[in-house]
Amino acid sequence: MSRALVLASVVALLMVSSSSMANPGGNGDSDRDYTCGGSCHGDPSMSLPSDGTISISQDGDVFAGHAVAVHVNVAGMSLSSNRLLGTFILGSIDGNSDHPEDHGWHVIQDPNGGSSNYVETVVPSTGSVTLTWVLLAPQETGVHNLFAQTHHGSEPNYEGIAYTGVSRGYSIDVMPVPEGLPGLSSDWTAPAYRTSGNDDPLEIGTVNTTSVSVQWMLEGEWSPHDAEVSSQCQDMEVCNTWEAQLPSTMGDTRIQYQITVLNGSFSMDLPWLTMGTGPAPFEGDIWDARVQSFAFAFLVLSFIVSLQVRLSPWDGKDELDQTQEVIDSEGEAPPPPPGMEEEPETASEEYMARLVHSEENPGWLWDPVEEEWVADPNFQGGES
Amino acid sequence: MFGAETFHAAMAEIVVGTMVLATVCAVGCASIRYIPVSEDRRESLMITMDKASIAGASMALFFMPIAILSGNLAADSVVGNALLYNKFVYSGLALGFWAAFVVGRIRMGPGIWEVRNLSLLQSVTAVMAFLMTTMASSIGGKLVRGESLFDVLPIWFPSDSAVVLPIWASAALLVIGLAASLVVFKLGPRAERISLD
Repeated sequence: MSRALVLASVVALLMVSSSSMANPGGNGDSDRDYTCGGSCHGDPSMSLPSDGTISISQDGDVFAGHAVAVHVNVAGMSLSSNRLLGTFILGSIDGNSDHPEDHGWHVIQDPNGGSSNYVETVVPSTGSVTLTWVLLAPQETGVHNLFAQTHHGSEPNYEGIAYTGVSRGYSIDVMPVPEGLPGLSSDWTAPAYRTSGNDDPLEIGTVNTTSVSVQWMLEGEWSPHDAEVSSQCQDMEVCNTWEAQLPSTMGDTRIQYQITVLNGSFSMDLPWLTMGTGPAPFEGDIWDARVQSFAFAFLVLSFIVSLQVRLSPWDGKDELDQTQEVIDSEGEAPPPPPGMEEEPETASEEYMARLVHSEENPGWLWDPVEEEWVADPNFQGGES
Repeated sequence: MFGAETFHAAMAEIVVGTMVLATVCAVGCASIRYIPVSEDRRESLMITMDKASIAGASMALFFMPIAILSGNLAADSVVGNALLYNKFVYSGLALGFWAAFVVGRIRMGPGIWEVRNLSLLQSVTAVMAFLMTTMASSIGGKLVRGESLFDVLPIWFPSDSAVVLPIWASAALLVIGLAASLVVFKLGPRAERISLD
């Protein structure tokens, strides 16, 4: 019976762990090459083609070195129970040097607010998701290809198969920049997060810009608000360093903002960008932790050891027991204060001598001086 | 060669393994009087579990500082979040509980299990040490893999936020702790070995 119980417990513990799947929790957003440069999803013996569809689109014309929003729509794929989907945007599908940055692109912002070419998202119940990367186009004009790839699982997935899908190359015609066209600086990346409660202005790097306006709204809002924008330049017509005053955010709030850059007759509405709210930086340091840790260790140790001593049946406890000393010291009590002294024995005898027995009131004595009855101390049930 | 993270993981596994043995045996020692077994069998079980618990706890106590130091190295001596901070704090608490368990058993001998209150205290100390050590290890799992066994258990001590005491307060507590230890071990009454008669 007990062996069966132990066996059942072990089996139950094993069942608690999830079945073997490659990376069911994902690997997190990061910069990755095609199939992560050789993961289970790229191994023909461990993977199958995705049953989903991938489509890529862009917003408006693309000028060399200027921002463009590239949308990747993924739909109709099987998903594992956590509905996690990994999506890449790639400059090639060679298995190495596939990052868009390797092909002249620059990631301003990924769909999760960071600046990675691989992001993980939880697909909503509709089974379709659109992810938007904001990129700076290559400086080299002409046709450039972008690819999208997806990684996902399925449910059920008894053999732990990794599914992968890849789009055809999406051609983007990068046009030469009209002279004086304003845009974002190639070394500027949109911040993914801002610390909770931080209202420091957002720094924006631009090119060929004489004026900047910024609109913002919280995620879920529909009507944008104008932000106050100031430049870092003094008396210069073209300025490329700007500061936009966006309100501070707290909790899980995400703020979206759109930068519009102007130069004469040019006005470029750049794609909407998103900035999350990060937790305040942790204030503790290693020495705080070490000292607090050792302090607790010594406090716990001394407390429990003292409890052990207190509870132990130790013979030496008698040495600490002062009861006998107190009893002994009672025999040497200090004299009573004046007026509180006990009456001498003779006084008591005189008092008893003056008391008169009464046959009519057995057990009681008459005090003729005080003229009162007092109890007979020698009275014993009718015999005095 | 291998990195500090790997070494730390190995040390942590040794600590967790030995302390599970120690805790199970300590609880067994405290509760064996309530288990209906013959007197001879009970005595044999008691001796075995007592030796296993003290051996496991001593080993855990020996390897725990190594695990803590290797964890320091693995973290590059940087505490950047509440989880890591709490890992330090729980490690310190575990160290205190394990040390108290081993000190009690060594000072009072196997007779500690014969005194009902002491036996209860000793087993509670082992369980608390177990919980603190498991929390510290689970935080490691949270940091590295984003999940831990505690996710499916109804027990989870606070770890997402940390109470960071000012360094002067921690230092004051450390001084108090050291002074208390000095009083308990040097100035206070000595605990004597409990006779098994």
